[in-house]
Amino acid sequence: MALELHPLEQFKIEPLIPIHIGGLDVSYTNAALFMTIAVVLITALLVLGTRRGALVPGRWQSVAEMSYEFVGDMVETNAGHGAEPYFPFVFSLFMFVLFSNFLGLIPYSYTVTSQIIVTFALAATVFIGVTIVGIVKHGTHFLRLFVPEGVPIVLLLLLVPIELLSYFIRPFTLAIRLFANMLAGHTMLAIFGGFAASVGLLAILPVALDVAILALEVLVAALQAYVFAILTCLYLRDALHLH
Amino acid sequence: MSEEQRPDALARLGEQLDRAQARRGEEPAPGYSDTGQQRALGVGFRIGIELVVAILVATGLGWAIDRVLGTRPFGMIVLFFLGVAAGMLSVYRAITGQSAAVGFRRPERKD
Repeated sequence: MALELHPLEQFKIEPLIPIHIGGLDVSYTNAALFMTIAVVLITALLVLGTRRGALVPGRWQSVAEMSYEFVGDMVETNAGHGAEPYFPFVFSLFMFVLFSNFLGLIPYSYTVTSQIIVTFALAATVFIGVTIVGIVKHGTHFLRLFVPEGVPIVLLLLLVPIELLSYFIRPFTLAIRLFANMLAGHTMLAIFGGFAASVGLLAILPVALDVAILALEVLVAALQAYVFAILTCLYLRDALHLH
Repeated sequence: MSEEQRPDALARLGEQLDRAQARRGEEPAPGYSDTGQQRALGVGFRIGIELVVAILVATGLGWAIDRVLGTRPFGMIVLFFLGVAAGMLSVYRAITGQSAAVGFRRPERKD
């Protein structure tokens, strides 16, 4: 029983249209293709879904409105009062991550969010944006975020670095959480798929397992998009309402 | 509802709206303490990685500082422990419903 497993091959980036500008490789890759597909699908869903604007929504309009209200509720309950201007940002983030995750579950497709550079770029955008919002809203008062209240000065020497560290770790946890979940899930699927291909009649067992994992992955895909968006809201709340 | 009652009811509704809006303006942003399975699931899925990443990032930062300043191995050691502390703090805050807030202060201590 020769076992040939290449569970990580699915994450390989291949240029589809090679583009080189001034020594920079900006080729249009399979990852870029699936990002484009995600954006096109989201735009299509929202534009076509709300085109008729019927009082009693049809299926597509329902989906578009539900996603809008879901994120709207999330922003309001988690980011608090005054976060409404940031709703479009959170909504775009949520939809992009959700669609990328779900697209990745389709066989032979590419999971954009399994690339740490993609998730880190999203997380860094959130982190830098939230920090700028905090500084613009509160000025130097924003730095009070790192100084716990009612603590002796000696302890502050220890606590300020810890607070600073836990602030700067945010983009990493945000990025690694999404990336690791996607990577692990898809690797697992590929490994059991590889088993199934090499064990003949017994293949029914790994295939059954794969089906179960796929169901779990659907949950994880939605949940990770939710977690990504809700953490963005919570970070926004910190910046908007200094406690 | 008769015609005489109508302005009264409208005024009452207006008052209620004003009160609700005033309350909403004063209140600190709602916490992460809302119940519901979805939220619980979200929290569960996100704190798992918090501790690990905090330690790894802090230790990596310590290693980088050591390389630049030539203070090996002290930067790495100190930052490792700070990372453990920061990670535990994040997990503690996430599960006690204080979100991932840095420098969180309890609402009752708010001026």
